[in-house]
Amino acid sequence: MKFLSKYIKKYWVSFCIAVLFLTFEAVCDLLQPTIMAKIIDKGVARKDIHYVLQMGGLMLAITAFGAVSAGTRSVIASIVSQNFGTELRFDLFKKIQTMSFKNLDQFDRASLITRLTNDVTQVQVFVNGLMRIFVKSPLLAIGGLVMAVRLNLHLAVVLAIVVPIVALLIVFNMRLGLPRFSKVQKALDGVNGVMREYLSGVRVVKAFNHFDVEVAKFTKANEHYKNQAVAANRLMSIFSPAIMLTVNLGIVVVLWIGGWGVRSGTIQVGHIIAFINYMTQISMSLMMISMVFNMYVRARASAGRIGEVFLQEDSIAWDRGSFNTRTEKGRIDFENVTFAYASSTEPVLKNINLTILPGETVGIIGSTGSGKSTLVGLISRFYDVSSGMIRVDGEDIKQINPKVLREKIALVPQKNILFTGSVAENIRWGKEDATKAEVEQAARTAGAHDFIIAAPEGYETMIGQGGVNFSGGQKQRISIARALVKRPEILILDDSTSAVDVTTEAKIKKALKTYAKGLTCLLIAQRITSIMDADKIVVLDHGEIVGIGTHQELIKECSVYQEIYRSQMGKEVQ
Amino acid sequence: MANGMDQSRNSPSVPPPLSPGGRPGGAARFRGPVVKPKNFKGTLRRLWEYFGKERNMLTFIFLTVLVDSALMLMNPYLIGKAVDAMSLNHGKVNFSFLEVMIVVLTSAYIGDAVLTFLQGWLMAGVAQRIVKSLRDSLFRKLQKLPISFFDARTHGDMMSRLSNDVDNVSTTISQSTTQLMSGLIILTGSFMMMVVLSPLLTLASMITVPLVYLLTRTIAKRTSILFKKQQDQLGKLNGHIEETISGIEVVKAFNHEEKVIEEFDKVNTKLREVGLKAQIWSGFLMPIMNAINNLGFAVVAVVGGILATKNMVTVGVIASFITYSRQFVRPLNDMANIFNVLQSGVAGAERVFEIMDEQEESNDPPNAVVLSKPKGHVKFENVSFGYRPDVPILKNVSFEAKIGSSNALVGPTGAGKTTIVNLLTRFYDVTGGRILLDGKDIREYTRDSFRRTFGFVLQDTYLFTGTIKENIKYGKQDATDEEVEAAAQMSGAARFIKRLPNGYDTHLSENGGSLSQGERQLLAITRVMLSKPSILILDEATSSIDTRTELHIQEALLKLMENRTSFIIAHRLNTIRDADTIMVIDNGQIIEKGSHDELMAAGGRYYYMFYNQFKNIEGALD
Repeated sequence: MKFLSKYIKKYWVSFCIAVLFLTFEAVCDLLQPTIMAKIIDKGVARKDIHYVLQMGGLMLAITAFGAVSAGTRSVIASIVSQNFGTELRFDLFKKIQTMSFKNLDQFDRASLITRLTNDVTQVQVFVNGLMRIFVKSPLLAIGGLVMAVRLNLHLAVVLAIVVPIVALLIVFNMRLGLPRFSKVQKALDGVNGVMREYLSGVRVVKAFNHFDVEVAKFTKANEHYKNQAVAANRLMSIFSPAIMLTVNLGIVVVLWIGGWGVRSGTIQVGHIIAFINYMTQISMSLMMISMVFNMYVRARASAGRIGEVFLQEDSIAWDRGSFNTRTEKGRIDFENVTFAYASSTEPVLKNINLTILPGETVGIIGSTGSGKSTLVGLISRFYDVSSGMIRVDGEDIKQINPKVLREKIALVPQKNILFTGSVAENIRWGKEDATKAEVEQAARTAGAHDFIIAAPEGYETMIGQGGVNFSGGQKQRISIARALVKRPEILILDDSTSAVDVTTEAKIKKALKTYAKGLTCLLIAQRITSIMDADKIVVLDHGEIVGIGTHQELIKECSVYQEIYRSQMGKEVQ
Repeated sequence: MANGMDQSRNSPSVPPPLSPGGRPGGAARFRGPVVKPKNFKGTLRRLWEYFGKERNMLTFIFLTVLVDSALMLMNPYLIGKAVDAMSLNHGKVNFSFLEVMIVVLTSAYIGDAVLTFLQGWLMAGVAQRIVKSLRDSLFRKLQKLPISFFDARTHGDMMSRLSNDVDNVSTTISQSTTQLMSGLIILTGSFMMMVVLSPLLTLASMITVPLVYLLTRTIAKRTSILFKKQQDQLGKLNGHIEETISGIEVVKAFNHEEKVIEEFDKVNTKLREVGLKAQIWSGFLMPIMNAINNLGFAVVAVVGGILATKNMVTVGVIASFITYSRQFVRPLNDMANIFNVLQSGVAGAERVFEIMDEQEESNDPPNAVVLSKPKGHVKFENVSFGYRPDVPILKNVSFEAKIGSSNALVGPTGAGKTTIVNLLTRFYDVTGGRILLDGKDIREYTRDSFRRTFGFVLQDTYLFTGTIKENIKYGKQDATDEEVEAAAQMSGAARFIKRLPNGYDTHLSENGGSLSQGERQLLAITRVMLSKPSILILDEATSSIDTRTELHIQEALLKLMENRTSFIIAHRLNTIRDADTIMVIDNGQIIEKGSHDELMAAGGRYYYMFYNQFKNIEGALD
């Protein structure tokens, strides 16, 4: 939990001030029963109204002071915890956004989101609680003990028995409770799992009329969860009454011992009342402490999850140089490149040697899982190669700041990723200061202009939540426009026209040729027709290049290419 | 005394997850939607219906709470009596009376402990059972909702309703119910005891009540607005997080890290501003309440002192009275808390009920026919449809598919191909015209028997967590192992299944993670093969598969299509050229219809599309 030290350093002073005020507040609370005892023993017993009034005034003054302390403490606590939470969340977000993919892959995306939202909140709530009650309870418990012992040593003997028993109960409570509650969490995961699966597969469920099976599955998970929750809660329901009973029996004993004390004149009646008050206070604080422990365990788990992310050491060095010579704009060389993802030892790419010259259009084809997307991802330095070297414009990209590198490249990913905002805003992702004309030209080239202006608000039509839903093919075209507006030196289209029908695709390709003269272009595709007119076609199979050449060359020499060709032509070839 | 932080006294279940001590302290509100429920009373009444079967148990719990509260009310009185037994001045102690008091007190305490335990024990069951039935009925409801419902909602939202919101309801039930019961009893009981003990002191201590009321109201008004704002801001932040992390590839590829971080900072800072205000305001509530309580405490002490000096009350009475006045104030404080918990619970319930109120798939008409032996004759008659009334997708579509024929739908994206399938399978109902199956309007069949007629192979094969065998059996629950294996043999899936370490019992993680796309698709085909549907629907069944793998699958599909009416949607035209009828759809209308050869000969749209797709290859062939 080293990441917390930064915030501790920053906030420990404010934190201590808050705790100081919390202490004032606790002291004021603790003084009340003593003053009450005095009012009864000295004022009421001696029928001294003046004393009663005096002490009453004092009590009000202390109350007022306590309230002011509490108010101050509350403000400081709010400021510290809110600032802390905000900063922690920001730092975590920044960390995630600037992490390399190698680091990112260690986490589930959904889990990263939970860490940013839920886990940060858990920790923040705990910190806030720390300055509100968590510290106060032990203070009140200890203070109550001290005051009670000071008040009457004889009666305090009772505490010497009651407190250890309660402490033991709390320990048992935690020991037994924690594993059970983690079981409850797990069971909840189960319920959520069935639900998630149902939602993702709802069409299949409906198509197969499988409601009964799904309901049965869900009921089972739900039942299991219920049973775990009931078991855990039932077990817990023993402890709170047990703690109360221990303290209450202590009160009975105090009354009994007190009776003897009063007779022998060693104890005053007011003391007994005050003592009982203190005991109640101690018991309540003890109950709170047991709760605090439960909270602590939860917050600790969350802090651990956050810490895991912070612990990731960036595998890519960022502050390297930039390009020196810019003579060969858009040249890419792969030299003996081998690459494996961290999750497996099996390399995804083996011994890739490939040179792409400036202005060339290169098609990449191969079956699913042959390493096409990985290959183009390496050019943007999403991952660093395991061995070998990639040069862009003649420079080893490991020596270049990824930011500078990515400035040159525009990628249209396989998956449609657009962000909440207008169509124009989304296209401007490629170039923030793009003029309206530039945006429209890019959209035209991508074959998107026509359907964009047909939408209710044209380029200002909102995408995403509450906005118009474009079809898959339309979204693909918007993301192509986003890449084009950047006017990159290298354009990578990763199967970006798969949801676009053939006619439209042909149009886009034609427009691209005029838009992007001198641009190096990498095209990943499934359909041979999409790439057959490329300057060069790379055929990948199981992570290896099995053919490079033009369509005519490959159709003669490359067996894999021939196979793909045949599969797409169907009977035509025979 | 614990100054009002002992609210857990009557909720022996787990401590509330985020608000220890039930302080209305702001951060507790961070997760739970303390968005004000829209219809508080109505939702509460509906929630009460879920208490249905548990009402007897609740009545019993209520009885224990009643007895327990009575015991708790007695305790201060007994302590007071015990104190009185030690008369104040001369060290004379009435021991026989003290003994009686002590025995009574002890049994009262034990009784209290037993009853509290019982409450916790029973309530744990009640709350969980109610929540379980709520969750169950929510899930059951989902089964009846039309596809359009799922198309319009994010999974995240649904998941959050099922878990977060239902949990909120659970916390509310387990915490608030007993607390509310005992709170009310203790409130009235204490008040009565106070009046009995000393009407004068009662009057004196009542001066705090209007103060408490006024302050709570003023602060609560302000905080509820602030908390609503905080929730909104939090929603925005979560949206931003979700989007930028799911799309991090693009963020990085476009060097947009800084811009995204900057934007996050903006939203995050705004959240802090609102959150801080909300927390500070709500943070004031407790200290002020505390001060008011102590004020009451002091007033009672002073007035009591004066009265005692005039021999109008005994010291024991004052001791009891103070305890009662605390007990009186405590539920008042708690009520504010309970109200908060209740509000968030009801808001959660409201979000759950929102789904319960969604329009279900229309019920079968009373005279609906069970479709027992479908033949597979399909006829569209002037079918029109739009997902939204103002945007028609299909216009006057008519066609006929003969028994056992294969029918292909081709056309540009957004032309309406998938919509035709959605209508045919009654995922959506037509808005105009009608669809006939074996000569009868499809709406006249029972939905259940009707859907069983179809077998689907979709672009997105969905596999469920479980073994391969279970996944195949999804098509026919009661299939024997032999049937499963025969189906796999026929589809060709058997080849790769045999190579897996555990064969048919190989466990698949969510959506068949470890299998290749082609293997997954083969499993989906096997599934359909086993279910032996009369009508087959292939919606881009092979478009996410590379063309070589497609060849293998094509074989399996051809076997599947034998003797079945089938509908095929495909981009790749070569996959459909053998179809009996090819329909070219554009702009929601059928513009051409015929066999491949007929359409090629006609030289229309299909010819153009086909030519476009193959011209280069054919050119290369020469």
